[in-house]
Amino acid sequence: MKERLVFGYDPFVLPFLTGMIFIIGYLLVGTIRIIICLNGRERKRLLTIFHPATAFRIVKDIFADCLLHIKIFKRNVLLGYMHASIAFGWFMLIVLGHIEVMLFTPQRNGILYYPIFFRYFVMETEQTLRGSFYFFVMDLCLLIVLSGIGLAIYKRFKSHRLGMKRTTKLRLGDNIALYSLWLIFPLRLLAESFTADISGGSFLTKGINSLLHSFVSNPSNISMVWWAYSSALGLFFFALPFSRYMHIPTEILLIALRHAKIEATSLRDGYSEAEIYSCSRCGICIDACPMTFNNQDVKFTSVYYIRLLRRRENASVPAGMCLMCNKCVELCPVGIDSTAIKLINREILNKRISFDYTPVNLSDPEINLAEAGKAKLLYYGGCMTALTPSVSFSIFKILEKAGIEYIHMDKENTICCGRPLLLSGNLKDAKELISKNRKLILDSGCQTLLVSCPICYKMFTEEYDLKNIRVVHHSVYINELINNGEISVKKSADSCVYHDPCELGRGSGIYDQPRSVLESIMDLKEAPEEKRESICCGGSLGSIALSYNNRKEIAKGSLNNLMRYSPDILVTSCPLCLRTFSSVNEKRTADIAQVVYEHMI
Amino acid sequence: MNKNVLVLGAGVAGLQAALSLKELGYRVTILEKSSSAGGHLKDWDKLYPGNISSSGLIDNLISALDGTDILYNTTVTRSEKSDNGFITEISSGEKIDSGAIVIASGFSLFDARIKEEYGYGIYRRVITNADLEALFRSKEIHKMEMPAKVGFVHCVGSRDEKVCNRHCSKICCMTAVKQACEIKEIWPHADVYCFYMDLRMFGRGYEDLYYEAQSKFGVNFIRGRVSEAGEDKDGKVVVKAEDTLTSRPLKITLDLLVLMSGMVRNTDNKTISDVFGIPTGEDGFFFQPSPLINPTSSDSSGIYFAGSATGPKTVAESINEARAAALAVHKFLSKD
Repeated sequence: MKERLVFGYDPFVLPFLTGMIFIIGYLLVGTIRIIICLNGRERKRLLTIFHPATAFRIVKDIFADCLLHIKIFKRNVLLGYMHASIAFGWFMLIVLGHIEVMLFTPQRNGILYYPIFFRYFVMETEQTLRGSFYFFVMDLCLLIVLSGIGLAIYKRFKSHRLGMKRTTKLRLGDNIALYSLWLIFPLRLLAESFTADISGGSFLTKGINSLLHSFVSNPSNISMVWWAYSSALGLFFFALPFSRYMHIPTEILLIALRHAKIEATSLRDGYSEAEIYSCSRCGICIDACPMTFNNQDVKFTSVYYIRLLRRRENASVPAGMCLMCNKCVELCPVGIDSTAIKLINREILNKRISFDYTPVNLSDPEINLAEAGKAKLLYYGGCMTALTPSVSFSIFKILEKAGIEYIHMDKENTICCGRPLLLSGNLKDAKELISKNRKLILDSGCQTLLVSCPICYKMFTEEYDLKNIRVVHHSVYINELINNGEISVKKSADSCVYHDPCELGRGSGIYDQPRSVLESIMDLKEAPEEKRESICCGGSLGSIALSYNNRKEIAKGSLNNLMRYSPDILVTSCPLCLRTFSSVNEKRTADIAQVVYEHMI
Repeated sequence: MNKNVLVLGAGVAGLQAALSLKELGYRVTILEKSSSAGGHLKDWDKLYPGNISSSGLIDNLISALDGTDILYNTTVTRSEKSDNGFITEISSGEKIDSGAIVIASGFSLFDARIKEEYGYGIYRRVITNADLEALFRSKEIHKMEMPAKVGFVHCVGSRDEKVCNRHCSKICCMTAVKQACEIKEIWPHADVYCFYMDLRMFGRGYEDLYYEAQSKFGVNFIRGRVSEAGEDKDGKVVVKAEDTLTSRPLKITLDLLVLMSGMVRNTDNKTISDVFGIPTGEDGFFFQPSPLINPTSSDSSGIYFAGSATGPKTVAESINEARAAALAVHKFLSKD
């Protein structure tokens, strides 16, 4: 393999070269801007990415998420292949191009365009055998990329075949980037076919060469095709910052920042900026969002919320609408925590006058927790359980049956756990509630805090720091009582389906214990979307702007999914879900404690 | 001319419609899904205004209808139009030929257990308006120990989007005031509280009774909804509410809490709607194409409505509408 052109240059490289320089400059400025926004502590943390173990994990994640797209594979094989073939195939083409330069024309090392247009600048020699391995691998990679592009074109017309019901609407920048990306690889194939009999090729390029012999053997066409190839690349780079394809370079930075344990602290700067630009607008969150059941309110989904932020427009409406069920975050292939950004958004919006949410006097004789130390088990029902007394009633009956002493912490005067305030962006007042409640709980001397509301559960486990006190949700506790033989249950002929409450399932990772309980008393049926894909009931106090009508529609949509295989009873373990579903469900809705109580022997 | 008319429902509207039709010379068949006539009124004690006996009203109607077929435990399964009106198949398999149909399917009482925060079905001392009427009717109430404090919660399942009912049930304000006065008549020393959103005393004499409830009986009216009810260790009901006139939260322990369950669409409306091909509104009550001028007409000729099948109504309104429906049927059948 030796150089064909003495200067190693041809004017057709210019579109690529300017595009490349533009995008490198753009990315550098962007990265520096993000790093400038970090505070001193965060910048120190950023240095940890150079620690070998962290660096290894970052590289591993980049391979898995940016190149091989493992997460998308798990969701849909075809969709995963489409992403992986284009990303990994292209990556291999670039790497192999550089290896070829290093091996055959080391004097051209470091020239930006040389590895890309290598085939144009070299010609075969008697040593070609050494290069034929690369010819073959390069052709194979190109074929893989082309198959991915083919799938991408197919997806434009039949997206549901690749597991996507809906996707985002493209804008001008997206369209230019998309079509230039589609063009790059067929043009590369054509361009390299031209030179296949000069600089060598393999099954693909040689094949095209002989197929289109009359066209490719005309030397005047050569320049035109290589110009087109270079222009497509250049156009893609210029369109990149104005398109959704910015996620390709940004995601690498996002992964590094995430491993440095940096979190979003503002709407638009630092980590959130990296997240905003990492959004590929794939639209997986559109199908995931419970608000989009009737193809309505698509504009409130995370992808459009993030697009508003990226365009520096007012995004307070979707930030207020969101139910914070976190399904979009759970399914996001890039792992963008849009819920965290929305919370920051709400904090900025929340400037109303503070109100005393804790009118409870801690020395009030009604709050008598002195016995709690003896009983060791403190029960906290929370506001929602106060509205669904059948839940606490059943729990008490179960505890009595098991012979466990307990103290009902909020029987008379309730202090809210603080999560509604936290979710509405009222951090200051939430903290006040937390400190009052925390003092009550710690002073009680209890060992276990039993909670029947997943909303409170998440709050107690994540925001309270209750030292040695074990916080346990009643579904988990009941499962333990059954497993330890402290209560016995009988199995009935009824069938049920289990609804995973957002805060308990996705929020706290509790999926199996409630199912284990239900399997021991009834025939547990599945729902098409459950566990981490469970659909919010619509009652979530996460949303601060959704109307009752909208909530009702969401509840009906979620119910439809749950009742698909016609179970007799809908069981959940959240008093809020229970309330929401019972007003729309024609069949019975019950809490897990209720059904266990009914099946106790 | 087909002189047969089919009436669905033997509540006050159905019975009155049948009676008026009978007087006009028609042969009427009444279908009733339960085992006796009278609908909700047969469980009620006294009706305002005038403290008329509810069962007396029904008995008068039934005796006047002597000779009219009332098919109990019967529902409709299929219906089709014929040259001569309708052929309707009923649950016994029998087919009924009629020239016109009057739908008087009425309403269902809202299931108060859905508003779980009030604890109906969980706390012994929480009952509904219907339960209280049953106590009045059976005189059981006189055997009860005097409650020191009694509370009435208005709008349970009415005007409440959280349970998917936006409509007002119209009669519960009046019923609550009537029942509160009756409680005070039995136990003059009991404290009675009514928790209301606003009082809709729309009928003649209603406002007077509301005035009397305060001046003569000393019933306390508190503007504000009850947020939740709990049970204390003695089994009494602890109610948390807000007094919105003084902007203060309040907590009160009651011996008896009465929930004013509202009127919601009859649970069978969907079946009836499918059988006869007549639509219902979003609230589940039947759709009236011309509610102002022809409130008894459906959008299918020969099918008419009477009573609360088309929305919450008082007894007086139901009776009037039943008569209007009978006249509309008469006009329809006399055309040819």
